[in-house]
Amino acid sequence: MTHPIEVHQLSKTYRLGFLMNRRVRALDKLDLTVREGEVFGLLGPNGAGKSTTIKILLNLVRQSSGTALVFGREPSSADARRLLGYLPENPAPYEYLTGREFVTLAATLGGVSSADRPARVSQVIEMVGMGQHASLQIRRYSKGMLQRICLAQAIVHRPKLLILDEPTSGLDPVGRRQIRDLILEERRNGTTILFCTHVIPDVEAVCDRIAVLVGGNRVREGTVNELVTSSVPLVEVTVESLSREKFDALGVPFNEVHAIGERLLVRTEDAHTQALLQKVLAAGGRVTRLLPARFSLEDLFIQAMNESHHRVGGRLL
Amino acid sequence: MIAAFSALMLNGFREARRNRVTLAVVFFAVLLLLGSAFLTEVTVSTFDRVLVDVGLGVMSLLMVLLAIFLSSGLLGREIERRTIFMMVSKPVSRATFLVARLAGTMLTLAVVLAAMGATFFLVLMLYGTRLHPTQFLAIGMLWMELLLLCSIGFLISSFSTPMISGLVTTCVFFAGHLSPDMYWAAERSKNLPLKYLGKAIYYVVPNLERFNYRPRATYFLTQPAGEVLLNIGYGLGYAIAATALAVIIFQRRDFK
Ligand SMILES: Nc1ncnc2c1ncn2[C@@H]1O[C@H](COP(=O)(O)OP(=O)(O)O)[C@@H](O)[C@H]1O
Ligand SMILES: [Mg+2]
Repeated sequence: MTHPIEVHQLSKTYRLGFLMNRRVRALDKLDLTVREGEVFGLLGPNGAGKSTTIKILLNLVRQSSGTALVFGREPSSADARRLLGYLPENPAPYEYLTGREFVTLAATLGGVSSADRPARVSQVIEMVGMGQHASLQIRRYSKGMLQRICLAQAIVHRPKLLILDEPTSGLDPVGRRQIRDLILEERRNGTTILFCTHVIPDVEAVCDRIAVLVGGNRVREGTVNELVTSSVPLVEVTVESLSREKFDALGVPFNEVHAIGERLLVRTEDAHTQALLQKVLAAGGRVTRLLPARFSLEDLFIQAMNESHHRVGGRLL
Repeated sequence: MIAAFSALMLNGFREARRNRVTLAVVFFAVLLLLGSAFLTEVTVSTFDRVLVDVGLGVMSLLMVLLAIFLSSGLLGREIERRTIFMMVSKPVSRATFLVARLAGTMLTLAVVLAAMGATFFLVLMLYGTRLHPTQFLAIGMLWMELLLLCSIGFLISSFSTPMISGLVTTCVFFAGHLSPDMYWAAERSKNLPLKYLGKAIYYVVPNLERFNYRPRATYFLTQPAGEVLLNIGYGLGYAIAATALAVIIFQRRDFK
């Protein structure tokens, strides 16, 4: 069974400087498998090697060693790329084209038949919310509009695998939400999605599985739930209509309590949550909010970075 | 494949059409061609020759400048600005991309040259100057020269920056027109390294004088077809070799 993406012992060393004599290791024996139909998040700080991994999968960059396969094929084969849609980091479309012209060009190159093309192009332009601006030259677009039109060119040929490099960067909250919805919509259609980001809420909202990269190494991998529950067992409860004294009198174990105005903010271990809720409700209090105590993935992320000694960027050799 | 190729080629033409530099060159050329009659002192016996010479000269100069600008800029700017990321990640081979880009440039140059040529002949007719087949030939062969220069511009751009590519192509242009002289000088040189350098340049750099039919057009001379065909073959061969090399280099490089 071939997976949409199989990466094995993948390494990449960039050569730098005028004489190409300085070297940076961007990827160090990376292993990664993305399965059919899942949304896979590649998480990591700046310079972790996320974009490098993606560029190797798209045949933009060649690996120094190891293998990267897309649907079991080398990225250099055009057949492999037919099944692929790609949104680059800071995408740069042809500015002299209008949005519609650019998406039409992408559709032609992607192999959409000429009969199907106009309708399909209009459809994806609507999907990314660019219907009103499609006949404007791209040089007049804002960052968010660029991002959207480039997302449209990525999906226009109905790829089975979407690879998105920082798809929500530069977007306002509404735009972020729309992109997230679009990812989920594509997933419902059976598209496999690999996307990389350093924005943690995006990952939590849409990913089935994630891998955390630091300094070109994979330091964590698993489902969001696995990684979250194994690392952060704290819960934050907001209680109203209960005074501090009454709360103390309940005698439930907790880690911290803060009185903020009329509310109490209680942090406790996950294991004690149910008991705490029962007692608070029995004493006439109201529970208005219940959250994991911190952005759990953020914790994981920072923990992973600390373990690898805060490595930002690749390793200079 | 064919749909992708022609889409990329026509897009190249559209890019040039929306580019201010191209438009400025066309505008300037038309202006110069129309004005060329006023620029020359009308002495009855040489007026026809001067008109043809100036017209073809203006065309050749502006077209060469445009060819160098387009060929060394296009590919290099795509890589610098990363517009190439979304193109070569499509199911289109890099070879197709590069050749289609070159074809788009040559199409642009053909259209611009046709516009200039039409203006040129219009001016000749206005002043009652004789039209002659060699005038058409000179324009056609100018396009061959542009093809050669563009293939070299693309070759250098496949691995370096637009600046360097523009510089190298300009040098090739001058060396290419001086190359017969260089060979002649090298033959007679007593200095051995210089002798071999001169000959090496002669063999590496294309002999662009082969495409220069302007002097003969000026004097209304006809051409033997065999020689013309030979020169066309020479130009095509050179352009194909340069493009093949460009494709090989381009296929191997990283876009980062
Ligand atoms: N073109 C390049 N030349 C040299 N080094 C590069 C190049 N691109 C990326 N790198 C280095 O490779 C490492 C990984 O970069 P990248 O894959 O872009 O990380 P990310 O996308 O996770 O932020 C970084 O240290 C970066 O400096
Ligand atoms: Mg990146």
